Amino acid sequence: MHLFFRLILLVTLCGCCLLPAGGCGGPEPEKEPVHLVYRLKWLYNISVIGDLYAEEKGFFARQGLQVDIKPGGPERDAIKELEIGRSQFGVASADQVIRAVAKGSPIVVLAQLFQANPLQWIYRQGKQPIQSPADLRHRIIGITYGGNDETIFRALMAKYQIRKDELTLFGVRYDYTPFYQRKVDLWPVYRNAEGIIISDKLKKGGEKVNFFNPDTFGIRFVANSVITTRQMIQNHPQTVRKFIHALIKGWQQALDPVNADSALTMMARFDKDTPAALLRQQLMTTRALMIPPAGKNFGWINAPAWKQSADIMLAQKLIPAPVRTDDILILEKIGGKI
Amino acid sequence: MLHRRISQFFFIYLLALGLLLLFKYIFNLSDYVIPGPLDIHHTATLFFSRYLRDGLNTLSVAVVGHVLAVILATLVAIIGSRGNLIGSLIKTAAYNLQAYPIVAVAPVIFILLGDGLVSRLLIAAMICYFPLLLSFIGILTEPVADIEHFYVITGRMRWQLEVKIRAFENIGKLSTVIAGSATLAMVGTIVAEFIGANAGIGYSLRIALYQSNIAKVLVALFLIGIFNSLYLTLLEGIGYLVLKKLKIQNGVMS
Repeated sequence: MHLFFRLILLVTLCGCCLLPAGGCGGPEPEKEPVHLVYRLKWLYNISVIGDLYAEEKGFFARQGLQVDIKPGGPERDAIKELEIGRSQFGVASADQVIRAVAKGSPIVVLAQLFQANPLQWIYRQGKQPIQSPADLRHRIIGITYGGNDETIFRALMAKYQIRKDELTLFGVRYDYTPFYQRKVDLWPVYRNAEGIIISDKLKKGGEKVNFFNPDTFGIRFVANSVITTRQMIQNHPQTVRKFIHALIKGWQQALDPVNADSALTMMARFDKDTPAALLRQQLMTTRALMIPPAGKNFGWINAPAWKQSADIMLAQKLIPAPVRTDDILILEKIGGKI
Repeated sequence: MLHRRISQFFFIYLLALGLLLLFKYIFNLSDYVIPGPLDIHHTATLFFSRYLRDGLNTLSVAVVGHVLAVILATLVAIIGSRGNLIGSLIKTAAYNLQAYPIVAVAPVIFILLGDGLVSRLLIAAMICYFPLLLSFIGILTEPVADIEHFYVITGRMRWQLEVKIRAFENIGKLSTVIAGSATLAMVGTIVAEFIGANAGIGYSLRIALYQSNIAKVLVALFLIGIFNSLYLTLLEGIGYLVLKKLKIQNGVMS
């Protein structure tokens, strides 16, 4: 019995020591984390130049933060990593955020990186130009079934009353061959990344291309935004402020034409496959898509566009119930202007 | 046999699902990361019949691909088992080709053959073909000394007879190898659909992953498991019947 009580005492003592707060020592304030993981949405390409620039130029370090910027990819989801606790910050598109929030995920948006969605459709300039959505009729349109381009395109069809039988939808993947072979008229691309590369290839072959941008026709569907968890905001508001401050500064400086050479030299180290000339074009296009309207700071969250994104998803039954987007856009609540 | 395999699958699936839910509740994860039981049930109600059709589509392609692979592997293994130059060349080529990951080769197949049935069939056949071929070559090159000795001594040994003897004496092994490669055929078809096709359960899985809908993924995985169990049981049943028939014939002969 004596041994039994000693065992209980030992277990209790170990339990006290293991409990992070609320143990024998009483509640202690949580330490602000120094080492952070920032999970990007996609692989290293021009769409993450500002994130990398902030790290390379020591903006995070000057805030006392060690940030590990990890590339994303098709099977990587920053939201899931945030919830599991493997990352503290991440990048996700509006559809991912809205879907997650609809399922109870405690995700909040800190900043909106792209002010205009880079997801557009590339097409060859032909005899019949596409000047309005009505001109899409009787064409073959590439969409990624299940992807956000499908959501955007279906919203466009609904808005302009284009019936399914008036055009042909073609399921696409990462291989552009059907577009090169002219089996598909319009192909979804990220305007600032693959858009530049494909148009360059076609221009070399003597073909002129153009881009169809649903944003021009009133379909505002938000793309990449910086996210974190509510828990992070509540427990480590200072860290969040420092992180977002350094990140926004990185983006502003990377997109500043004065720093273009320095930013591109850095980018070339991460994206070795894209020639320097194309990287420069990509940077110019990225800048145009990211710079906020006059009077707004970089990272400005376009609340009406978020609401429209949620409405589109609800209309397409991609979420079961309405999501109050105002509750998840919290840049102003953590200090507003950065 | 079917009952046992299905109940084993149910047990494993429910165990895995239970662990997943345990993980969800311990770490207080949202339905977005790991769906709750209600979400899974709701998704299953909505998508079960569609995924069932997709699963049947995948199974049918896997079966045809598997049969093609078995036929091809048998023919090539017979040639490969000969101790000549062609035989050793086939053996070397089979070992080398097996090293190429199908995910790297599949996009080229889709470019050449399109995203239809032929590409799915070819990839399904390719994935189960090489393990089958290597096993068949191994079996057909291994002499059955006790029996073959008589025919060699009497000068009656022909290559057709040699193949027959070795296949007959190793029929149990062959049957196991064929049943085992059925899973590979199923995996191959799903991988093909996932990478580039426009139909089947692999394609539906791809869309579910695009939408980060883990509930759909779980429903799809359940059906894949069921179909795989059914196909394996069918093959094991055929293997059992063949063995039984051969034993009876053997008994009658002796």
